[in-house]
Amino acid sequence: MVSIGNYSQLLALFFSLTTIALLLTGIMKNDFRFIMSGRRALVTVAFFTSTASIALVYLFFTNNFQVEYVASYSNRALPLFYKATAFWAGQKGSLLFWAWILSLFSAVVVYNTRDEIDSKATPYIYTVLAATLVFFLALITFVTNPFDLLRFIPPDGKGLNPMLQNPGMIFHPPTLFLGYVGFTIPFAYAIAAMASGNLDESWLKKTRVWNILAWVFLTIGILLGGQWAYVELGWGGYWAWDPVENASFIPWLVATAFIHTAIIQERRNIMKVWNMTLILLTFVLSLFGTYLVRSGILQSVHDFGATGLGGYFLVFMGVVLIGGFSLIASSYRKLRSEKVLESYLSRESTFLFNNVILLALAFSTLFGTLFPLISEAVTGNKITVSMPFFNRVNTPLFLALLLVTGLCPLIGWRKASADNLKKNFMLPFLAMIAGTIILLVAGIREFYPLVAFSLCIFVAVTILREFWTGAKARGKLKGEPLIVAFPRLLWRMRRRYGGFIAHLGLVLMVIGITGSNAYKLENQATLTKGQTLNVGAYSLRYDRIGKWREWNREVYAATLSVFKNGTSLGTIRPEKRFYVNAQQPTTEVSLRSTLLEDLYVTMPAIGRNWDITLKVMVNPLLQWVWIGGFTMVAGGLIAIIPGRKRRVGSNDIL
Amino acid sequence: MKRSNWRTILVIFLVLGGVGYLIFSGVSETGMYYRTVSEVLDQSKTLDNGPVRISGEVVDNTIHYNQGDMILTFAIRDPEDNSKTIKAVYKGVAPDAFKADVEVVLEGKYDRAKNTFDTTLLLAKCPSKYVAEDGSL
Repeated sequence: MVSIGNYSQLLALFFSLTTIALLLTGIMKNDFRFIMSGRRALVTVAFFTSTASIALVYLFFTNNFQVEYVASYSNRALPLFYKATAFWAGQKGSLLFWAWILSLFSAVVVYNTRDEIDSKATPYIYTVLAATLVFFLALITFVTNPFDLLRFIPPDGKGLNPMLQNPGMIFHPPTLFLGYVGFTIPFAYAIAAMASGNLDESWLKKTRVWNILAWVFLTIGILLGGQWAYVELGWGGYWAWDPVENASFIPWLVATAFIHTAIIQERRNIMKVWNMTLILLTFVLSLFGTYLVRSGILQSVHDFGATGLGGYFLVFMGVVLIGGFSLIASSYRKLRSEKVLESYLSRESTFLFNNVILLALAFSTLFGTLFPLISEAVTGNKITVSMPFFNRVNTPLFLALLLVTGLCPLIGWRKASADNLKKNFMLPFLAMIAGTIILLVAGIREFYPLVAFSLCIFVAVTILREFWTGAKARGKLKGEPLIVAFPRLLWRMRRRYGGFIAHLGLVLMVIGITGSNAYKLENQATLTKGQTLNVGAYSLRYDRIGKWREWNREVYAATLSVFKNGTSLGTIRPEKRFYVNAQQPTTEVSLRSTLLEDLYVTMPAIGRNWDITLKVMVNPLLQWVWIGGFTMVAGGLIAIIPGRKRRVGSNDIL
Repeated sequence: MKRSNWRTILVIFLVLGGVGYLIFSGVSETGMYYRTVSEVLDQSKTLDNGPVRISGEVVDNTIHYNQGDMILTFAIRDPEDNSKTIKAVYKGVAPDAFKADVEVVLEGKYDRAKNTFDTTLLLAKCPSKYVAEDGSL
């Protein structure tokens, strides 16, 4: 199996190189047959990466600890499910996984382009995909091979870090990777458009589904990472602006900007250069994200151990950036728009502001992440910035983004008239004022939460009014009652309404983030049996503690009775676990979630006489972070449900 | 055309200025020097006594946790120079990954008179990969 894995990787690399050679020959000689062979070679790569991946999973299943990668991330006691997913637990497997997904995506692209082989751009698309594959396959073949053997056979492996033995964590890396890898496809189309001189917006139309799908995966990946941090790390939060988190967030911000201006280019044929730049940056930042997590250059708290990969990634990123920007520069004349932005009071300009803010967010996050390196290079002193910096800089930017989200549907395309503005603004604006007064009366006096909640009301009203007027108009036209008209409208114009649903998700998420940040309560104490700890309206009584053995761990669990305002809510059970051959215990959070607030309890320490140290938090509205996040995901998915072929230029782009 | 160009430039300038100001003030008000144990001990290197972030390794047999009042004390050493150590005091509970010889990151203030570090934040590196005791892997 080890040799099957090795040979599969080698053959995948060989066929990627063959693909490039065949395609370049085909392009140069203008010979169709070479391009057809190149297509077949590219599909062959997917076959060999699949056999390599299957081989690696098989080695995990059969406990082949002579394979260094298997010994590092698995052991005999590890459940089968985690043995399969240990495939991407470490760097080597992750890179193979990346290559595998990219080759599968490439095969899908080959299938999708079966009717476009005579287009000039198509062979270039394959070439870019194959070149990216060469990079990853060369890394795992020559530099960091998952099939490397140890010189001896250890009796057992080291096992998987208990903190990673959590279903959410299992799907967090692959979804992030699916997002990262997904952006390779629009990138390949963009490069192909420039290299072949086919510079109309057709590449954007063809990659629209890829863009949004990649964005959806990236969003899910980030959300799962946040959920994992929340239930597993035990500090009571879900986002710490840690370099590793930022590494996934920065490409997400740029990708989000790209999705928005792609719409503008489709609709008005402007911002062409800008879109090329954004997709190029998204791809490079996806590589950068992988590199940052895997290189340990920043000494992040969950550092993956420094390896010699950095140099290779930097070189590849440099090649992509230089190549990409020189292509943009050489096509600049053809890409320049004849049309310009006609007015600042137009829907286009809200998209422009959306982009400016998203890129400002991306820049400040990148800057803060790299600041220790920058400051050391410039002043010789390492200066770090952490959570307070990011919250301070990004909060006003996020609120501005929210404002723009609300303004967008109120303003017409091209140039809005004063009448149109007055008519549209009245209701949301009044609703916001009324909401702000209610919030003030309810006792919300802090500046940022007040602004955030008020803007949420504003945006929600603009979106809901959009739904309402649309459904009413359809009802009138078709003679349907609203209850029928609304879902049908949603279905008929899902591109437009999917976007609105995603925005609604953003609003819910902001409500959750604001509530859980600004109004969290916290208390910690050491209790002896029978004692009570109070947090806000809650009180927790320490009743008993038990200890037992589960298959690969020893568990200590305290049972606490929970009361809210004196009413009993039952019990909760925070745990402390000691895993076999792990060198540290894990603290298992006990969580009682409602839509209003989370009660978050951990037991970080147990004393000799069974005294326990408890850390208790009340996180208001926290569940809305996840509800909002997954609403965004749903909106993205709704927007790309395939339908009948639409007439070109039909009006439901937005 | 001309006027709208100027206006665009002005808007972009304002936005960049705003973001630049946010970042600049953010760094100057929340930035923290990141120092090694040796640098903190070397008085000539640290003139100011503001909050600082340090990293070091937890020294064996120095960890003491008083559960009643939840005070954790331990010493950290400079990985480059094991003779340089600082005693740290932290009110709160150690993270799971915290134990002897593990690398930790602390934020807080150094009290030169007492050679103690009043810790406000304690982070332990979580080892995504176990290193065997004998370093064979």
